[in-house]
Amino acid sequence: MTVHNIRHGDASDGAFAEAVGGRLSRVDGRAKITGAAKYAVEQQLEGLAYAVLVESTIASGKVRAIDTTAAQAAPGVLQVLTPDTIISLKTAADWFGTPPPDKPYCPLARDITFSGQHVAAVVAETFEQAVAAAALVKVSYDETPSIVDLSDAKAGDGIPIDAMTKEWGDAQGAFASAPVRICAAYNTPREYQAPMEPHGLIARWDGDRLTVWEPSQWLDGMARTYAEWFGVPFENVRLVSPYIGGGFGSKALALSHGAVAACAAKMLGRPVRLVMTRPQTFTGYGGRAATRQTVTIGADAQGKIQSIVHRGVNETSIDGMWVEPLGSVTSIMYATPNFSSRQNVVRVNSVVPGAMRAPGENPSAFGIESAIDELAYEVGIDPLEIRLRNYAEQDPHAKKAWSTRQLREAFAAGAERFGWSRRSPEPRSMRDGNQLIGWGVAAGTYPVRRAYGEAIVRILADGSVEVESSSIDMGQGTYTILAQTAAETVGVRADDVVVKLGDSRFPRAGVTGGSRLAGVMTGAVYKAATSALDQLIGLAISDPRSPFHALQANTLVAANGRMSSPRGDGPDLSIAELLKSVGRDHIEATGDTMPANSTPEDRYKNYTTIAMALPHTEGDYSRHSWCAHFIEVRVDEDFGTVRVSRVVSALDSGRLYNPKLAESQWKGGIIMGIGQALLEEGIVDRRHGRIVNNNLADYLVPTNADIPDIEVISVGIPDLHSSVLGGKGVGELAIVGVAPAIANAVFHATGKRIRDLPITLEKLI
Amino acid sequence: MTKTTIPVHLDINGDHHELRLEPRVTLLDALRDRLGLTGTKKGCDHGQCGACTVHVDGERVLACLTLAAQVEGRTVTTIEGLAREGEMHPVQAAFLEQDAFQCGYCTPGQIMSAVACIREGHAGSNEEIREYMAGNLCRCGAYPHIVAAVRQAALEVQS
Repeated sequence: MTVHNIRHGDASDGAFAEAVGGRLSRVDGRAKITGAAKYAVEQQLEGLAYAVLVESTIASGKVRAIDTTAAQAAPGVLQVLTPDTIISLKTAADWFGTPPPDKPYCPLARDITFSGQHVAAVVAETFEQAVAAAALVKVSYDETPSIVDLSDAKAGDGIPIDAMTKEWGDAQGAFASAPVRICAAYNTPREYQAPMEPHGLIARWDGDRLTVWEPSQWLDGMARTYAEWFGVPFENVRLVSPYIGGGFGSKALALSHGAVAACAAKMLGRPVRLVMTRPQTFTGYGGRAATRQTVTIGADAQGKIQSIVHRGVNETSIDGMWVEPLGSVTSIMYATPNFSSRQNVVRVNSVVPGAMRAPGENPSAFGIESAIDELAYEVGIDPLEIRLRNYAEQDPHAKKAWSTRQLREAFAAGAERFGWSRRSPEPRSMRDGNQLIGWGVAAGTYPVRRAYGEAIVRILADGSVEVESSSIDMGQGTYTILAQTAAETVGVRADDVVVKLGDSRFPRAGVTGGSRLAGVMTGAVYKAATSALDQLIGLAISDPRSPFHALQANTLVAANGRMSSPRGDGPDLSIAELLKSVGRDHIEATGDTMPANSTPEDRYKNYTTIAMALPHTEGDYSRHSWCAHFIEVRVDEDFGTVRVSRVVSALDSGRLYNPKLAESQWKGGIIMGIGQALLEEGIVDRRHGRIVNNNLADYLVPTNADIPDIEVISVGIPDLHSSVLGGKGVGELAIVGVAPAIANAVFHATGKRIRDLPITLEKLI
Repeated sequence: MTKTTIPVHLDINGDHHELRLEPRVTLLDALRDRLGLTGTKKGCDHGQCGACTVHVDGERVLACLTLAAQVEGRTVTTIEGLAREGEMHPVQAAFLEQDAFQCGYCTPGQIMSAVACIREGHAGSNEEIREYMAGNLCRCGAYPHIVAAVRQAALEVQS
């Protein structure tokens, strides 16, 4: 592993703010706060037509007939698409790139497996006309009984997923002989990503070339899917996604509504815009699967864990497969000599669930971090102390050293700041008037997922620097941290760097998910920028026209957009002047984080599938981000209402490329965790399998009034086993552990253990 | 269900627009689809999220629940009209400084609400700001920074 020159310093110095690690404000911020930022579906195109989806109103059965007569006759209608009239597509490979079955794919369904499935679409001259006509499409069905959810008697025990099994030692035997034993079941409901920007796209064909303006967490992966659906070369599909109005895992894949819009555009010969209504976003793609876990812990009288037996179940759809890895935190958080985790998935009549912020780790942590708290009370020791007593000094599952694990430091820093030592241990022992006060702690973790990316860095004639990559910024701050990386590496001001993202014509990048993008792309930009600067210095030294030629130096120094010799003797030129002197209008270099001997096929696979992503336990180390949440709740004794009144979280994301932006992401994760703990739950109508609260007034996400001051503390250190510049993951980490910290605080406040999210008042009174 | 359009005269950010619209066209869709003013966002189209907040005669309204024809003869300000001669409004500057947004999609609505919240005299404390900004959802979870930005801007505007 090459050790790169990394500056460690505080961010108080203004110039340092522009370098990697500095608190530079978002470089795309001005566009966003003035309304100038054009999101994907906001492109103004000539001849744009508007499509609106029609969805199934049953959860299981067959479409008997679709009567489109009235819709066809409605004003402005250009076409009505049904399974019978839409053009046929090919089945695309999944995100692993597994070769698909050779059968046609129809994005409009005849066979209904969930309520809200797309069955037809209407395209009209205006949005209003399309909405009105879509309401005139009459669909009749032959309905069959559906499996509503995990609690449905017909759901059964599901399918064992052997790949999820993790076992060592004799977990059952050790549990049976343990002096202290606890066993409890923990449930999490369906939850929804609910990004503020609904899913949608504009599709336009020019001959056999397709352009798709669509919010995307993965341009190259989605471009591949569109190409495979339509049987055109990958290069013929261009995905454009300059800004993304939130994704949280939901915008990484091309989905059936995208296929419908692209089909409509092809059939009409006009660009077509299709945006889901907010209710459609609850069934147009999958939220977090509902989960059930049992956690069984055997321990000695001092609370030292001897055995963990864990069983998990998540729901999936009738014909799709989603596995939410429920043993992911259970298996690594605490040292245990005996362990067993197994998981089933159960088919229900739902859209196939999908990725939502920390899939797997999030519900997994709700189980184990609640259970360890229960164990603490069982043996009568402090919930923080029991976590330290069972601290895992190495990865208990992979049996490898942690690359870095600042979790002890996180517990210490968080406890100190929160004032944990002033906690009164007994439940119901802290109150303020009729409010019961509870303090809870829980830990979180997320693996460091590593993949590949490439970038171009150009040093232009005016001395400015341009960075291009098909990676994206959905609010994490990619534009900003890549500007900082290029600025520091080339030696210019961040103001002089223009970062261009969100266009699949740019150098490629893998999926923006699993908190991998920042580590991957800062690495690629660092390498490209280093290479561009090396070229420039090489020219400056070797070109006879260069003022530095006579100096006979073997290197030069670039800083603040100027080039000089290391000793300060000789010329001092702006980069623009230097380029002019050697007759060049730009310098360009590509950098990537791929292995050196990669073939073009490897590259294609790397950027358009997730098959080549490196496991977090690759080589000698186990790589994870870590955090500890300390949360205070106030519970109204009479009404059972829970308010989170204080949060202190200490987090280890390794080196932060921009603490200002990382803190924002951490707080955002914590806030989504507060929603998960107290508010969020998809409610299914048991008669028709519909999501009843499929809108933002009934599916409650946190509002400003629900959120207290939140303090976050970075305890990370650079981790060069995790990324080129030393960062681990930021975006997913902070939600992990929030819900159990709140449940633990609620127990401390009330003496009631709620193991079924969300923690609503009827469960407390 | 009609092809009938009506003339609608809109005064937006000081510019006069003459449009022919179906009466059912919302102010939000008129702004975004007819006038290219896409700074005002559509998050739910049902008045639940606040992303489409604009000012009509200086008061905050939800453009998705307002027909374009309703605002004829009234003064509409959108996020594009908030900066004066390229100089950012103090609320905009505070949002950037406090990092009061991530994806940016709810941000124009948050900023329009915040300007009104301060003008209404509802930015006196963090608690008051949280309450009077609670109609604008932010799924990225920028709330604490939004409160800080509104507080900072309120002090600047009032001084």
